[in-house]
Amino acid sequence: MVADYRFGYLSQVRFGLAYATAPVYWVADIPTRVSFWIDDVFVSRTDLLQENDGLREQLLVAQRSLQLLESLASENSRLLELRDATQVINGEVLPAEIINISPDPYSKRVLINKGAGDAVFLGQALLDANGLMGQVVEVLPFTSWVLLITDSQHVTPVEVNRNGERALARGSSSTANELELDFVTQTQDLLAGDILVSSGMGQVYPKNYPVAEIISVYADPGQSFATVRARPLAQMGSTRHVMLVFQSGSSEGPDLSTEANSADGDESTPEVDSSAARNLN
Amino acid sequence: MQRSAHAIWVIFLSFFIAFLLAIVPFPEWAMNYRPEWVPMVLIYWVMALPYRVGIGSAWLVGLLLDILEGSILGLNALSLVVIAYVTLSLHLRLRMFSNLQQAGLVLALVGINLMLCHWLQILSSQTVASNLMFLMAALTSAVVWPSLFQLLRQVRRRFKVR
Repeated sequence: MVADYRFGYLSQVRFGLAYATAPVYWVADIPTRVSFWIDDVFVSRTDLLQENDGLREQLLVAQRSLQLLESLASENSRLLELRDATQVINGEVLPAEIINISPDPYSKRVLINKGAGDAVFLGQALLDANGLMGQVVEVLPFTSWVLLITDSQHVTPVEVNRNGERALARGSSSTANELELDFVTQTQDLLAGDILVSSGMGQVYPKNYPVAEIISVYADPGQSFATVRARPLAQMGSTRHVMLVFQSGSSEGPDLSTEANSADGDESTPEVDSSAARNLN
Repeated sequence: MQRSAHAIWVIFLSFFIAFLLAIVPFPEWAMNYRPEWVPMVLIYWVMALPYRVGIGSAWLVGLLLDILEGSILGLNALSLVVIAYVTLSLHLRLRMFSNLQQAGLVLALVGINLMLCHWLQILSSQTVASNLMFLMAALTSAVVWPSLFQLLRQVRRRFKVR
């Protein structure tokens, strides 16, 4: 039985049985929906107006930073063009809601309310407003299971935003909501407070989404690697509203091409020069 | 022995509620103390109506629980079949037991269930071996058992489930 599953014969069966279990999730989610509904219905006019004002201010601030970001993005894409690199992905997102968490305290997984019917696929990245949350590991008819980046079985390829140092962030093996950076040598330039972003290696996660913030770096001279702990930026325990990322078209292998370019070194230099000249003209 | 079924829907409903209780989110610290509702409800029905709920139903319930928890297919099915078998072979004695003795046996059965699940999960590398805190659920189950037993017995008599 168990062995059968390991060879993947039974994924169809799982998919079918999930139809039978869907009502359980639906009922289990009722209390939350009722409380949201009550919040929506019994809210005073002044509260709404206040909230509206607050949101409008937030929108202004966000738009201002978006303007800055757009100029940066265009500058970045010009620079990348200079290097003949593929454009960084800017995929579409599908809003989803977390409707349940795994009852097993040792596996950090959540259930979201989008499934095969919404074109969710295996390995799809899940974000919340602050950062990367995890990837889809099982797609059911109306729901899907997402493995969080803090699960001890999960490793996220990351790089340090400040200097581009690459590392692997593994979920903490304790029940704490933390990440540990594997195989960081004592001399690598990592500091507490550094922001880690997804590096796009491994082709699962899109590049440049914020993942975690380093909270402590401990270099024990007796060990070959430093102990680096990081706190995920996404609100793993408290958020309900999340986003699924659909990567558009040219997402295959942006890093590989940049890697190849930088590895070529001398050969590619004249080409870069010529394209730079073209761009300037 | 094979009387015609009566009010079978009560059994389905009780399992449905047990499923609900099994997946309702708990705060992080309480996760290890969540009573194992589905095995307990199964033990009760196997004990009370062994001709109606047996190993086959235990297997089906286990499969559904696997889907609900997102664990590999057959994990809960196997461990529930094991405890259903033990309960089935003991059901006549189990009915004679006092509350305390029953609770003790439930502690053992739920403990076996949890150990089996944990081992299989480690085998299939769904989780990593850590401490034995997950066995606390067996203790809370045993504490909850007498009241659950009374409740289900009242329900069974009220609706004349056969």
